[in-house]
Amino acid sequence: METSTLPLSSSTRGKLISAGYTSLSSISSVSSTDLARDVNITEAEAFEILKMANHQVTGSSTSLINGARNAWDMLHEEEALPRITTSCSDLDKILGGGISCRDVTEIGGVPGIGKTQIGIQLSVNVQIPSEFGGLGGKAIYIDTEGSFMVERALQIAEACVEDMEEYTGYIHKHYKANQVQLKPKDILENIFYFRVCSYTEQIALVNHLDKFISENKDVKVVIVDSITFHFRQDFDDLAQRTRVLSEMALKFMKLAKKFSLAVVLLNQVTTKYTEGSFQLALALGDSWSHSCTNRVILYWNGDERYAYIDKSPSLPSASASYTVTSRGLRNSSSSSKRVKMM
Amino acid sequence: MAPLKHLEMENPIIDACFRDFCSSHGILTVEDFLIHDLYELAAFAERQVDADRLKEGITVMLSLVEVKCRPWLNGMELLEDLQRNKQTLSSGDNGTDSLLQGGLREGQVTELVGPSSSGKTQFCMQAAASVAEKQEGSVFYIDTGNSFSARRIAQFICGSSAAAVLRKRVLSRISCHTVYDIYTMFDTLQGLEVALRSQEQMNVNECRLRLLVVDSISSLITPILGGSGSQGRALMVALGYLLKKLAHEHNIAVLVTNYTVGAGENGKTKPALGETWKSIPHVRLMLSRDNRNNSCTISILKHTSMLSGQTVTRKDNQQCL
Repeated sequence: METSTLPLSSSTRGKLISAGYTSLSSISSVSSTDLARDVNITEAEAFEILKMANHQVTGSSTSLINGARNAWDMLHEEEALPRITTSCSDLDKILGGGISCRDVTEIGGVPGIGKTQIGIQLSVNVQIPSEFGGLGGKAIYIDTEGSFMVERALQIAEACVEDMEEYTGYIHKHYKANQVQLKPKDILENIFYFRVCSYTEQIALVNHLDKFISENKDVKVVIVDSITFHFRQDFDDLAQRTRVLSEMALKFMKLAKKFSLAVVLLNQVTTKYTEGSFQLALALGDSWSHSCTNRVILYWNGDERYAYIDKSPSLPSASASYTVTSRGLRNSSSSSKRVKMM
Repeated sequence: MAPLKHLEMENPIIDACFRDFCSSHGILTVEDFLIHDLYELAAFAERQVDADRLKEGITVMLSLVEVKCRPWLNGMELLEDLQRNKQTLSSGDNGTDSLLQGGLREGQVTELVGPSSSGKTQFCMQAAASVAEKQEGSVFYIDTGNSFSARRIAQFICGSSAAAVLRKRVLSRISCHTVYDIYTMFDTLQGLEVALRSQEQMNVNECRLRLLVVDSISSLITPILGGSGSQGRALMVALGYLLKKLAHEHNIAVLVTNYTVGAGENGKTKPALGETWKSIPHVRLMLSRDNRNNSCTISILKHTSMLSGQTVTRKDNQQCL
């Protein structure tokens, strides 16, 4: 029954089918007043239904030809896609250059491993101007736990500007006044911060993001810290939680693709009983683990922090170590404090 | 069922007089017409004033019904269709091909089930690369999780030549579409059907579509499945039906991926989407990954012509040019 594939409410759909309109061609041949009278709905609703049915019947084949992109074109696009550096060159290396745009990356780890630090570092690094190899974009930071500290962001922003000035001084030794235009205050101004206090607010915000980003086209990264917090305690109905989460995941994917930005979701860990022992696994269950394009797991190895690529369509599994310093995220092995740019 | 008056626009013989005659016998919809005793109806029509028109109306109705009905095929015709039209496509990996006695079969829907990061997307991309390169057919890749990577597919196109010209030709046969909700999916598939039908009418045989990949179908269906009302399940079954129809009528192999969900205390994972989905794919394969040996095991959960439970293990594919 083809009318069941139209996005309608179930009562309207039930009325349509019981009145005998089971195929799209039967709807498109009727006028909206007749439809409204037969099915016992308002004329505005009938008009909407006619529009939907006609769009499906005629519009889809042309959009198929126009929307088709073959893999050869995508190969060039992928190679030209910008990446957001994490300021830690080892981490960048295993990520293939940094966090890629147009992907949803999930980063999870035990408390205290540095997830919020990575979030803040990325929201600063996305603003590195293109002369220094960055994206020159803005950031959206969605905070569900209240762990974003402005003083820390300011500290990291100042360190970033200092590194950029040092780099300019290094390269353009002969030129005196090649000052970096960006100031720490500007960096903070370009981070859009949202504080979310319940899961309904989180869902509403995700729905609103499409409109928000259309108005602020410079946004290049959306960071959610953390995505789990409101979904762990409030839900009695786990099936509903799965449905809500998978819908949210699809919306993030759509945002990432549509606006070519990176979505970074920070996740917590929980214990899971597999293969006879308790192991740490990322929260929100098995069905959520399929909702990201890339997944990075952060863990402790002795005294060092490590990051491990758990899931990626094109990167091999690898791990790298990093540290969290007063200037932000840095390499653990390197003794120099200068960040490797470009 | 459609009321009779909808047929009037294209078949003017089914006008108001005919419909009045029918409704006097309690026939208001096509369904009533099919159930009614047609000899009795014709006999009654004889006695009416405009007997000829009425009988002509009845004949037109019957011919419409025959057109809608699928033609009967006997066993020989089915076998011929199988041998001529429905070939086996290599999946790109010899172990899997030997397990499946050739590979993915056109006309069938194959489902890959596996936990996260077990290699489902890699399998899909490898199959796409193999079909585009070796079988020289085109591939329609529907991606719901931004996991299509053209770079990775280029790595799968192996061969000592690997010339840019070859790569370009092969990669241009794979077209990728991103779909994020089930209604867009229906739009895309229906548009594909229309495009395929017009292509067949024009008899364009070069690079016909041979493989349709949906990665992954469960992320489209999970948001609507469950809860009150069976609308979600109806849409899932409609989608499965549409995929099978595309596979059979246009001789395409369809590959879909699904994920697993935990099944409670005993810890065994089972495929998502529930019992209703179980019967829709023709072939179901389960992937599991062994991280210590860096290998992945494929086992058959369900197959139309082979014993389930057979497995094959293969090493991770880290092919690089």
